[in-house]
Amino acid sequence: MYRKNRMGLLFLLPGVIWILAFTIFPLLYSLALSFTDRQLARPTSGQFIGFENYSKVFQGIASSVIDTRSEQGQAFFGAGASAVDVRVGETIPTTIFLTLGSTLLTLLLGTGIAWLFNHDFAGLRIFRSVMTMPLFAAPVALGFMGLILFNEQSGIINTVIKAVTGGQWVPWFSQPWPARTAVLLLDTWQWTPFVFVVVLAAMQSIPTELYEAARLDTRNSWQLFSRITLPLILPALGTIGMLRLVETFKILDIPLSMLGGGPGSATQTYSYYAYQVGLKNFQMGYGSALGYVLVIVCIIISTLYFRRMRSRYDQPKQG
Amino acid sequence: MKKWQLKLSLLLIVVLSITSLASVATAQDTFMGLTAEQLFPGAQTDLERTSAMAALQAAGFPDATGRFAGQTLTVSVQQAGPRGGISGPYYFWREAFQALTGATLDIIEIPQAQYYTTTATDFLTGQNTYDVMNVGGWYMGDYVTNGWIQPIDSYINTEGYPTWEPDQVATPLYELLRWGGQTYAAVNDGDAQLLYFRKDILESPEWQAAYEAEVGSPMPYPINTWQDLLAITTFFNGKDWNADGDPDDGISLHLRSGGQGHFHFVTVAASFAITPAAGDNPRAVSKYDNVFWFDPDDMSALANSPGHVAALDYLVALTATGSPSQVGWELAEAWNNFLQGNAIATFSWGDVGSLAQLPDRSVIQGKLGAGRIPCSTQWYDRETSTMMDDAANPNCVGNVTGGSWMPVMSANTDTAELAYYFMAFHANRNINFWNSTAGWTGVDPSSLYQLFPPRGTASVEDYAQYGFNASDAEQYINAYGENLFSFPITLPYLRIPGTERYWNALDVRLAEVMSGQNQPQPALDQVATEWENVTNDIGRDLQLGVYQAAIGYTPGG
Repeated sequence: MYRKNRMGLLFLLPGVIWILAFTIFPLLYSLALSFTDRQLARPTSGQFIGFENYSKVFQGIASSVIDTRSEQGQAFFGAGASAVDVRVGETIPTTIFLTLGSTLLTLLLGTGIAWLFNHDFAGLRIFRSVMTMPLFAAPVALGFMGLILFNEQSGIINTVIKAVTGGQWVPWFSQPWPARTAVLLLDTWQWTPFVFVVVLAAMQSIPTELYEAARLDTRNSWQLFSRITLPLILPALGTIGMLRLVETFKILDIPLSMLGGGPGSATQTYSYYAYQVGLKNFQMGYGSALGYVLVIVCIIISTLYFRRMRSRYDQPKQG
Repeated sequence: MKKWQLKLSLLLIVVLSITSLASVATAQDTFMGLTAEQLFPGAQTDLERTSAMAALQAAGFPDATGRFAGQTLTVSVQQAGPRGGISGPYYFWREAFQALTGATLDIIEIPQAQYYTTTATDFLTGQNTYDVMNVGGWYMGDYVTNGWIQPIDSYINTEGYPTWEPDQVATPLYELLRWGGQTYAAVNDGDAQLLYFRKDILESPEWQAAYEAEVGSPMPYPINTWQDLLAITTFFNGKDWNADGDPDDGISLHLRSGGQGHFHFVTVAASFAITPAAGDNPRAVSKYDNVFWFDPDDMSALANSPGHVAALDYLVALTATGSPSQVGWELAEAWNNFLQGNAIATFSWGDVGSLAQLPDRSVIQGKLGAGRIPCSTQWYDRETSTMMDDAANPNCVGNVTGGSWMPVMSANTDTAELAYYFMAFHANRNINFWNSTAGWTGVDPSSLYQLFPPRGTASVEDYAQYGFNASDAEQYINAYGENLFSFPITLPYLRIPGTERYWNALDVRLAEVMSGQNQPQPALDQVATEWENVTNDIGRDLQLGVYQAAIGYTPGG
């Protein structure tokens, strides 16, 4: 028995070493870094500074709602108002817009398309395969593709818009909201198939008898969908929604490769800025703190979700 | 001598002559046993191939196969491909370099936006992948102070290496190759922004009359000041002056975030915010004169001085006389817009002058006008806290804005001699001149042998033989020389530790202004605040010392 366990442990060892080396160690190391002023290429840095980096992050986030130059801002931030990292605050509206926008859009479109594909028609399998193709594209490559698609002068999207509107075009790269929308559309395009695949699987697991029984009362498709399909795929939608929230909250690749975070800082997300601070400015301490705040937010989202799921399934048994 | 002996002697002479002529011809057609086709597989025309071969043969490179055979040299360069700016020449001359040294040249391309991060990380993690890095002048502040690169003075023009002439490099550009009295880089590219315009349109009597009729005053041509330029681009913007049926642009700029748009602002702002020193030496650096970035006494940021703000106000007005898409344009898009004949003017690096000669890139060959960067009739005098306005005596400030992309040698390379051979190969007069005549190379003039008299020694014919239109060459090269030598003062070059961070803060806020998200004053206030924070992060004392040394300021001096 002991020998068998030892062999088992031996087989587990590579996995354990991998996780320790590439997950646990970096996690703990960056946690330690986040309490220092460590900057690469600055030999005198690396002093322990307690929660100063975290304080800087939260002050920065607060600056998204309190202008540091206003009287209220001066009162709130005190003498250190000018040292507040407003760039963190500037990423918050963009991050929220992209996170909520992309999550909602992908859920809506993915569910809608899954519902269409949940019917029998010729060539269904081929269409299904084609639908999943965007999932296999690297987001960085998508950003570069966006450069071509959304090009203000020669891009296919503006060409179509010009043809439809008689010459009007959208400043996708030169104005903040069109630029954010371009990022949103690309991200939605990539992730809608993921929602589609999972929701379609959920829909196909619904027993046909339920529909057959319901059709005795109504043939209204919307009623069938809203009364049977939707309630039964809701757990799947919840899981996908949570995954999408966490995933989109980290969005970096598309804004970076397509727009360089611009125009100005219009498409700089929170993750983009964390990357900028840690891996471009080499402020490893502060960058780690920014990363940890992101991790904490993601943990909160998933904890809330799982708690809700648990309460749904852990109903006290009757009798 | 008998008749048969005479015949035999004559035959021998003829055979010997033919043989020696053939061997000479063969020697001229090959280099180190390789033909032009083998040496330059990337050449796209016969002219490229033959002129490159001639340059190679004229360079007189020492054969170093015995010293370097079997070694490998790894060079990093900005990602642009085998025919792209700056990276292109390294590929183009690779076979020749390998033939001369017997070594293998590995070229590693890194995207411009990631270049500093990638190379710095390589040093910091001790990987030491690169023997030679092609860097921008502003990298020096980090590269030298961290000990990542080594001086090359001990190699320069010693036997066994290609020769190059540091004393031929224009002084403002030569200073960028050096740090603390030592030379760290070999010359390659020479960056300075100058003004380009459509000479054919601006010199047209019809357009001049139309301008006067609409504006009420004669067209301010030649363009001497930024204010002249704005008046001209305002007039031409929206008019179909190229007769293609569509409204055309006044100006063409590249202002995309994360690109090189901030260089446009810096070039403009120089003449709005820098004052020359009074007295015999206008270049003397004091607390108030010849400073642009920071106060040299305490490193407080000057980015939001009234001069800088006036410059940004101006740039916003100038940008409005071009395509609204400029805010999202990369460098090449702005160039192409001008080269395709859709904009009346642009101000940018030397590339535009040579790219205008390429039929596949340009429709304006023979129509190019160029001048030194304009002066400003308005500028801010920090000493008196006064905004000056003098149209008769505008404030003129030159620049060496840009990367002046140059090869530097890693301090940790184990092939230092081969690395220097490579650097000197590209710095050699013949190779460097050839590179600067081919628009696609991204290599711009840097040295006196590339400029026309009285400043340099080149001639229009030197450029014409490479396909330049004579008028364009005259305009472009004269403007380059004027830009480097005719200004009383020059914009100080920012090359202190953390320069990338200062640039980034400026770049983001500028783009916000250009895209209408912010106004010039608050945006530059924000830049100043962020620069202060960067200075505090890195260490004010450290930065102050390096900054003072970089601009040549002596406290209390």
